[in-house]
Amino acid sequence: MSWLWRVREMRTVIILLAEIAFFTWYLWPEAGRSHPFLNGPNALLILKYSSIYGIAAVGAAIVIISGGVDLSPGAVIALAGVVAGKLFVEGGYALSASLLAGLAVGVLAGAVTAALVVMVGLPPFIATLGMMGIARGAAFVITEGRFFDVSGKLPPGWQPMGIPIAWLAPAVMILLAVVFQVVMHRFQWGRAVYAIGGNETAALYSGIAVGKVKTSIYLLAATLAAVAGIVLSVVQGQGKADLATGYELDIIASAVVGGASLSGGRGSVLGAVLGTLIFGVLRNALPQIPGATFYDRLIVGLVVIVIVVMDQLMARRGK
Amino acid sequence: MSRLEFHDVHKSFRAVKALRGVSFTVEDGEAHAIVGENGAGKSTLLRILAGSVTPDQGELRLDGERLRMHAPRDALSRGIGVVHQELLAFPNLSVTANVFAGREIVGRGGRLQERVMRERTRELLARLHLDVSPDAPMESLSAAHRQLVQVARALIFECRILALDEPTTSLTDGETDHLFAILEGLRQRGLTLIYVSHRLPEVFRLCDRITVLRDGTFVGTLRRSEVATADVVRAMVGRDLPPRELTAPSAAAATRLALSGLSRRPCFEGISLTLRAGEIVGVFGLVGSGRSELLETLVGLHAADEGAIEIDGRAVRFSSPREAARAGLVLVPEDRQRQGLLFNLALADNLALPRAEAAGDIVVKRDRERRSGEALLAEWRIKASGLDTTPDTLSGGNQQKVVLARWLATGPKVLLLDEPTKGVDVGAKYEIHGMVRRVAAEGAASLVVSSDLPEILGLADRILVMREGRLQGEIAAAQATEENVMHMATHEKGEAA
Repeated sequence: MSWLWRVREMRTVIILLAEIAFFTWYLWPEAGRSHPFLNGPNALLILKYSSIYGIAAVGAAIVIISGGVDLSPGAVIALAGVVAGKLFVEGGYALSASLLAGLAVGVLAGAVTAALVVMVGLPPFIATLGMMGIARGAAFVITEGRFFDVSGKLPPGWQPMGIPIAWLAPAVMILLAVVFQVVMHRFQWGRAVYAIGGNETAALYSGIAVGKVKTSIYLLAATLAAVAGIVLSVVQGQGKADLATGYELDIIASAVVGGASLSGGRGSVLGAVLGTLIFGVLRNALPQIPGATFYDRLIVGLVVIVIVVMDQLMARRGK
Repeated sequence: MSRLEFHDVHKSFRAVKALRGVSFTVEDGEAHAIVGENGAGKSTLLRILAGSVTPDQGELRLDGERLRMHAPRDALSRGIGVVHQELLAFPNLSVTANVFAGREIVGRGGRLQERVMRERTRELLARLHLDVSPDAPMESLSAAHRQLVQVARALIFECRILALDEPTTSLTDGETDHLFAILEGLRQRGLTLIYVSHRLPEVFRLCDRITVLRDGTFVGTLRRSEVATADVVRAMVGRDLPPRELTAPSAAAATRLALSGLSRRPCFEGISLTLRAGEIVGVFGLVGSGRSELLETLVGLHAADEGAIEIDGRAVRFSSPREAARAGLVLVPEDRQRQGLLFNLALADNLALPRAEAAGDIVVKRDRERRSGEALLAEWRIKASGLDTTPDTLSGGNQQKVVLARWLATGPKVLLLDEPTKGVDVGAKYEIHGMVRRVAAEGAASLVVSSDLPEILGLADRILVMREGRLQGEIAAAQATEENVMHMATHEKGEAA
């Protein structure tokens, strides 16, 4: 099994490299000028902005592999950032305590979603749609339309654990992607997630603690969204209720582009994170092409469809 | 001239060669059986006939003309109706809608001619002596009636060839008789029948000629009047099957499982029984007698209203199959598609999962699982292209072996088997029975639920008969016959024979 997934991720890597090669060629500068796309600071910028999606995509991919779907990460990102921002800027709490509180809000949101899915038996689509509204609404209630200026209160030159602040988000994303890639393929829990997504009844008969595993999946997904939220509040320097609006759909699209199937049982954490990079490169490069500004949403939509169709054609030929 | 001819038909699914050069003919108006072990290629042959699979090589000829089909509707429009083993039905739609699905009668502007379709369905149901309303939702029908509605679907399009794949798997004897009476009537009206089954008595009852397949190749076409059952079995399996030896376990063996007064109304009530180490106990009863519910309650899928369960003398009550498996009680479920297999995972994972979960593993031990997986494939003689393939590439019989192997690998103390050989042919059935006996000989106690009476008679040391949720009585294997077991299962206690 594992080699098969690795092949799938190779496809996503190839798409990403092809995309980078294309923009490198298309945006090649006149002689003597520096390349506007292919340079170190720009690469870091892409990584930094993709990471917020990427961190949440780790959890979203696991939910999708288990046969569910999560519509709440965008709202939970905003709520966690707002809670951390409010406590830090207005509450006068220490930064670490404020961030932990933001994280705790994510855990709470995940617990509510998990209870709705596992105990009440709501379809994940409905439960997380509700959570999306609740979390976003709570963020607006807390901010009352203001935003919290976190960066103004951070000590100048602050480096958490010795990591420069620009590197913080990519570092967290890469760490989480690697850890959960290993968990999904080397741990019984990860295999149980695939089993539940493939056939929940058979998973139950096989002795998998389906309820517990599903509870942990929704807890994890919301917690990782909250991680993305507090990282965003530190990196971008503000807590604001309308941040990360619409991220949930981009995150789902990334997971799908990375090989996940919305009917469950198929996909990969690494693929989903690579998927967010594919969109990150698009969002970065398209505005640099004169006249393309208004086309970027349209192109993003086309890319999702083209990649998934290609993937299915290749899978069919593989059979 | 022959009505239908298969000419050098080849078909492969990935590495599995399902058919390799099958040629035979079906005469006009005959009832022609296709028999063979699981994986022999019967179902593939029917799917080709139905137009849902295209052969890699070779062709089908209808009345001497080459058949080119790209979809099931092509077969229907040429007068070939196929009733598949897996009931392809729309449970939420009415009988009429199911009969006409995909080929509805429409008037001007695409409006459905509901009244016309309902009338034609009513006529046809009457012709089939089927007491069902055309408006009844499909899900409210019994398995037998659903099967007959599928036959009706084939007939409404005036088909000249009707092919049935294992139509009696979920039918009782009475329902089978009804189906056979209808098939016999159809044949007398000139319809050509193709009948695929594992059940040789049925084949001998209905068919004029019998085509035997083995490992995707054509073995021969036999005339019913010239052969006996043993000849057909030998042709299917390629060897003689040794008779079973009766080995009674010692009465002194320790009690493994004891139930007293276990009830879950309205499914079953007041069930008391004991299972000793090394014993195989059969539970026979008609569909709806509460057998499956009893097994599901034992492993904690349902809660019992009252009563006690003891394993090795200790009172237990489980809330999930996970807890049950950890205590050494394992249920091998009936439906391999829905309950038994994970089709998105490799065979290696499928075989290893229940054992790993029961052992409470945290990390997946890949190397160990590959070794034990290879051993299981060899031990159960599972025909697969390797451990990395998914279960959907396997034939039904091999899938069933995987289902049994994965749960037996947990090393259970008490084994609950629900229809362990459903839809499985003679050879695979024999191998599965051998494995169940071996597990018993190693000290496990087994409870086998089956509606296949010869299976119960051949496998069990004693037979418990269930009827309407209650235990009717017990018959020792030595005294059991099809007649006295069936009588007990269908009559009130104390009612005269």
